[in-house]
Amino acid sequence: MSLPQFNLLRPRILEDALSLLAKHAGESPASTRVVAGGTDLIPSMRQKLFEPEYVVDVHHLAGLKEIRQTARGVEIGALASLTAIEQSALLRRRYPVLSEAAATVASPLLRNMGTIGGNICLDTRCLWYNQSPTWRKGCGFCIKKDGDLCHVAPGGTTCWAAFSGDTPPALLCLEAEVEIASASGTRRIPLSELYTGDGVAYRKLRPDELLTRVFLPESSADYRGVYRKLRVRGSIDYPLAGVAVVMKGSDGHIADARLAITAVNPAPLLVKGVSELLTGKAMDESLAAAAGDLAAKIARPLTTSALTPEYRREMIRVFAKRAVLAAAEN
Amino acid sequence: MTDFSVIGKPIAMIDAAGKTTGAGKYTDDLSVPGMLVGRILHSPYPHARIKRIDTSRAEKLEGVVAVAIGKDAPNTYGILPVGHDEHALALDKVRYVGDNVACVAAVDEATADRALELIDVEYEVLPAYFDPEESMKAETDLIHDNKPHNLEKDYHHVFGDPDKGFAEADCVAEARFVAGEVTHAAMEPHSTLASFEIDSQTGKPGRLIVWSSTQVPYYLQHKLSLVLDVPMAQIRVIKPLVGGGFGGKSEVIPLEIIAAIAARKARAPVKITYTREEVFWAHRGRPRTLIDLKTGVKRDGSITAVKARVMQDGGAYCSYGVVTILYSGALLGALYDIPNIQYDGYRVLTNKPACGAMRGHGTVNVRFAFESQLDELAARINLDPAEIRRRNLLKAPCVTVNGLRVQSYGLPECIEKTIERSGWRDRKGKLGKGRGLGIACSHYVSGAANSIIRSDMPHSTVNIKIDRDGGVVVYTGASEIGQGSDTMTAQIAAETLGCSLGRIRIVAADTDLTPIDIGSYSSRVTFMAGNATLRAAVEVKKQIASAAARKMGCTADDLVFRDDLVVRKKLAGESHAATLVSAAVPSEASVSERVEGQILRGSLQQKRKDEGPKDSMSFEEAVVAAIDFHGTLTGTGSYAPPAEARGGKHKGGGVGPSPAYSYSAQVAEVSVDEGTGEVTVHKVWAAHDCGRALNPVSVEGQIIGSVWMGMGQALTEEMVWKDGMLMNPGLLEYRSPSSVESPEVEPIIVESIDPEGPFGAKECSEGSLAATIPAIANAIFDAVGVRMHESPFTPERVLAALRAKKNAKPINLTDGVDPTNPARFREHGGSLWFKGKGPERHALDPSRLAAPLEAGGDD
Amino acid sequence: MKKELIELRVNGRAYELALEPCTLLLDALRLDLQLTGSKRGCDDSSCGSCTVQVDGIPMLSCTMLAASCEGQEITTIEGVCEHGSLAAIQKAYGDWGGAQCGFCTPGFIMTVKHLLRANPDPTDAEIRGALSGNLCRCTGYNQMYQAIKAAIVAEQKGVARASSPAR
Repeated sequence: MSLPQFNLLRPRILEDALSLLAKHAGESPASTRVVAGGTDLIPSMRQKLFEPEYVVDVHHLAGLKEIRQTARGVEIGALASLTAIEQSALLRRRYPVLSEAAATVASPLLRNMGTIGGNICLDTRCLWYNQSPTWRKGCGFCIKKDGDLCHVAPGGTTCWAAFSGDTPPALLCLEAEVEIASASGTRRIPLSELYTGDGVAYRKLRPDELLTRVFLPESSADYRGVYRKLRVRGSIDYPLAGVAVVMKGSDGHIADARLAITAVNPAPLLVKGVSELLTGKAMDESLAAAAGDLAAKIARPLTTSALTPEYRREMIRVFAKRAVLAAAEN
Repeated sequence: MTDFSVIGKPIAMIDAAGKTTGAGKYTDDLSVPGMLVGRILHSPYPHARIKRIDTSRAEKLEGVVAVAIGKDAPNTYGILPVGHDEHALALDKVRYVGDNVACVAAVDEATADRALELIDVEYEVLPAYFDPEESMKAETDLIHDNKPHNLEKDYHHVFGDPDKGFAEADCVAEARFVAGEVTHAAMEPHSTLASFEIDSQTGKPGRLIVWSSTQVPYYLQHKLSLVLDVPMAQIRVIKPLVGGGFGGKSEVIPLEIIAAIAARKARAPVKITYTREEVFWAHRGRPRTLIDLKTGVKRDGSITAVKARVMQDGGAYCSYGVVTILYSGALLGALYDIPNIQYDGYRVLTNKPACGAMRGHGTVNVRFAFESQLDELAARINLDPAEIRRRNLLKAPCVTVNGLRVQSYGLPECIEKTIERSGWRDRKGKLGKGRGLGIACSHYVSGAANSIIRSDMPHSTVNIKIDRDGGVVVYTGASEIGQGSDTMTAQIAAETLGCSLGRIRIVAADTDLTPIDIGSYSSRVTFMAGNATLRAAVEVKKQIASAAARKMGCTADDLVFRDDLVVRKKLAGESHAATLVSAAVPSEASVSERVEGQILRGSLQQKRKDEGPKDSMSFEEAVVAAIDFHGTLTGTGSYAPPAEARGGKHKGGGVGPSPAYSYSAQVAEVSVDEGTGEVTVHKVWAAHDCGRALNPVSVEGQIIGSVWMGMGQALTEEMVWKDGMLMNPGLLEYRSPSSVESPEVEPIIVESIDPEGPFGAKECSEGSLAATIPAIANAIFDAVGVRMHESPFTPERVLAALRAKKNAKPINLTDGVDPTNPARFREHGGSLWFKGKGPERHALDPSRLAAPLEAGGDD
Repeated sequence: MKKELIELRVNGRAYELALEPCTLLLDALRLDLQLTGSKRGCDDSSCGSCTVQVDGIPMLSCTMLAASCEGQEITTIEGVCEHGSLAAIQKAYGDWGGAQCGFCTPGFIMTVKHLLRANPDPTDAEIRGALSGNLCRCTGYNQMYQAIKAAIVAEQKGVARASSPAR
């Protein structure tokens, strides 16, 4: 399958990239796409899910690949590869949940290519959407692209395509912030505010904006962390459900804990009430089970991927329980 | 043990370097001057009448050379003579989402893709059938007008007296098994390059040359002739390297004919390479199968009767379907001694891509059911699962109740070896919570004794030509598809002629150059093409021997051919010691030695000329002597299965018989996570009786590969359908196992030397697959006590089974179907399903037009 | 779309190519440079048959724009042979049955070359993990592990010969 035709713009510095985006994104919202690692956009362009007039290749922008310690925590350039995140000694020591989550993304080859920024911005996925044009024509298209029907929630008017990134739940647990740059300036928002919960307009990122950096606060450092991913194969697969947990303990009691889920909703979600549930208590089976129930309660998987929604929700429950137990044991 | 110099040695495949350097050419790697790219327009509807096709807008696009449609080649074809129901491009009707409608030949892929969007097709959408049980109730809107009730074929066989058998049984088990649909997923997508030569006499397009990724060049030549109305002699089919077949390239695939039609219309060479999605639409894999199985055993474990009702969801065309449904019944026999068999098989048409032949053709799903049920019976009569298999062995040589002749039978040794290596006796049932061992057996044909085209022609013919340079050229129609066909041919020729492997050149699978071989399928190549090679080599050897004997002043019977020497027998032992030393020198070091050797031999030749008759000659000297004596040095061998091996006379009795059967026994060790239902296969011990292992590295590779593919079907692979839409037409969502979850497989070669196989060899590439699925199912039972009756054993199915067993809080993990007792096909086929009225259909779908939208639930 | 002049460095040589901006690296290699050793096996970046090394790191050439690779060093399977002979890993793949149909083999070799450079003495689990982005449909991977171990031994001894299976 050939790619649609487009103009390729290859800026070498951030300022140029932003001014190119400002120039072309104004023409129409769908007219530009940003490509970094390409692992999400290129297969999607093959399926004609995107047919932009301009593609801005940001992969070689200077200064956005570093992972470095700052006074306020750790700063990660959006172009750092997932392999770099996985192997970073600094992250493994201080923010292990992120390295663990990064290590489960797709396959080693795709991690060599894919970036942390790309994993955060990953398009939502659905079996009725991630298909060729001929295939999609066969089902009359869908609400996310070219059509007005939803095939997973018949009669529904919103899109339930699942956000399927592995690192965002870990980042949510770490209370990460992201820097978003445009020609008119930069803003910094908590990652949790990037996602909308809608399957189509799944992220709050204007076409002229670029996600440039990720910040992990010092206050989240040195938490024990666990990421559990449901997949059919041990490699390659996107998550069918995912749970990230961070935890801090003192004297056999939990001092703080956070839990986030992915791949079962149109956005990765921090599970509310987990800290309140666990803090100050000693870990045991029933406490862990209660955390699992909390997580399962907000999971709303639909038939967007392999394995039944009921099973995927149940695995959020089981994985959350196990992850909490494992984090407490670490 | 017989002492061979080439046979039985672990050698690299003769084409390995081309594969590891990237130099080897597969069809898509080829290009010819002026070549166009072809792309195919596919039907978006599962069942529709084509009312009108307008290609004019597409034809006007810059860069488009031709647009072909159905009426450019309206003849029907099909791989079976009884199943000529396909058009290369649809004529009046499309029968599945992905059916072929038109083909654009353009200067490049992007242009062809754009042109496809400009073809206007008006369809009248028809009611479609997706479930075989529903499909069989159809009275109107049949998929093919000449197939009432959408029934492709049904067979009803009774051997012995099943009712009496069941009456004699002490214990009878009866259950329904469902096996999901799986596909070959060979790494190379199908590709065909078609080009017409200009005829020097007429000045017009003449012969058609087709390079194609095929397992069956001869059948392709035949079907091209049929559809294009061109005499076979005017068609040349060449098979370049093939990137895996597993049956997916064992019949004529639409693109192979479409490329030729497009090339004819475009008056230029056209290459079509399928996208991965198109490979899934072309499919021809293993059908979704429903098996109602009843087995009776006596208290001592002996089987008294088996009754099987098998229904296959065959898709929209016949393909190999008639053969598949017959294999399912026929190979209930020839593994164990079963005195009474009743078989009812139904091959049903549905509006989905056609199913066909896939590794273990027809036998795999029934074997899963049978070996699972046998395990259950063993448990019920309190017998060890390995022991119940031992109590039902055939007493070979014999002919089974359904007419299959078994001559060599290594199953007892296979069972012994697997239980010994796996530590079965000490470890079974003692691995702790959630971990278990399971055993199962299987078998497969070494080629079909009856060819699909009824005729008396040999199934394989091989020519050998040797010239004065001492090089041996073997011409074989057999198709190397990665299984080692060319290497096997070279080994047999070298062993027989007593020459080094380096002398052998293989010219294969080119219909202009090589004699007919019916193809690489049903594991026939080693047995049949191997025998033909052996016979051709023996014939040439006779000619060399007679000339050499004259030179040496002895009789031909006195001569031994070995290691590039022709030696008188009394000296053979002596010279053998010397050649053993030289044989130990690795081949890469021998290049410089060969040059020295030639000089040496040259001087030896002169010396011998001077000295008169000798006790030994070099192979080259002997060859030159033979050519001087006979004029040329060629030999031909062919193979047709003997009449005794061709089976019973009953209707459908032609499928199942084989000159020899391979046997396999396996033990799988698995663990099951009781919280998630995830199954991990830790190790599989797989013993396979392949007759003689001609190349142990290759045999082991085939065993491991079969077991591994069986594991994929058991755990992760399934084609998932919704209303005729294939939900996972790609390698991301159709989950062929990665290295991480692939277990260690310990291959154990068992050599029951077959009396008719070449050097005693039999099949080794398919038979092991079928045992793996039930071995894993039985191991799951041993681990956690649930009996999976539906494959693949996805985590949700295993968890649902575990929950049902524990009477735990029910959650509907599998659409209300109990995977231990699957009463029906799930509408959605597999891991994916919808509650309520299901997904919205296309806006033009009559069912949607008829029924106004209801507000659906959102969960 | 108008073609642009791109300079690609492949296997140590520089090529100037006129390519459409949307040209994938795999297509540039196969169609423009006739380096057909890298294969296309899927369309969804899942199979690894097209694996090449970009600045020494194995990546999917079907998922990269050719123009984006300007200024980077690309190594394909055609650049693996040493002095016209098989590299140890290529020899071992042949000897141990690591390649059957051979279609996935170039991709695997590019992945394994990187593994052995980054980690000359990998554990079994590390080998499995490293290979897990490349799919093979023939071998079940087992014989590849044997080949990789044999190649490591051969590299250590400096001779490919040591990798011949002995039975």
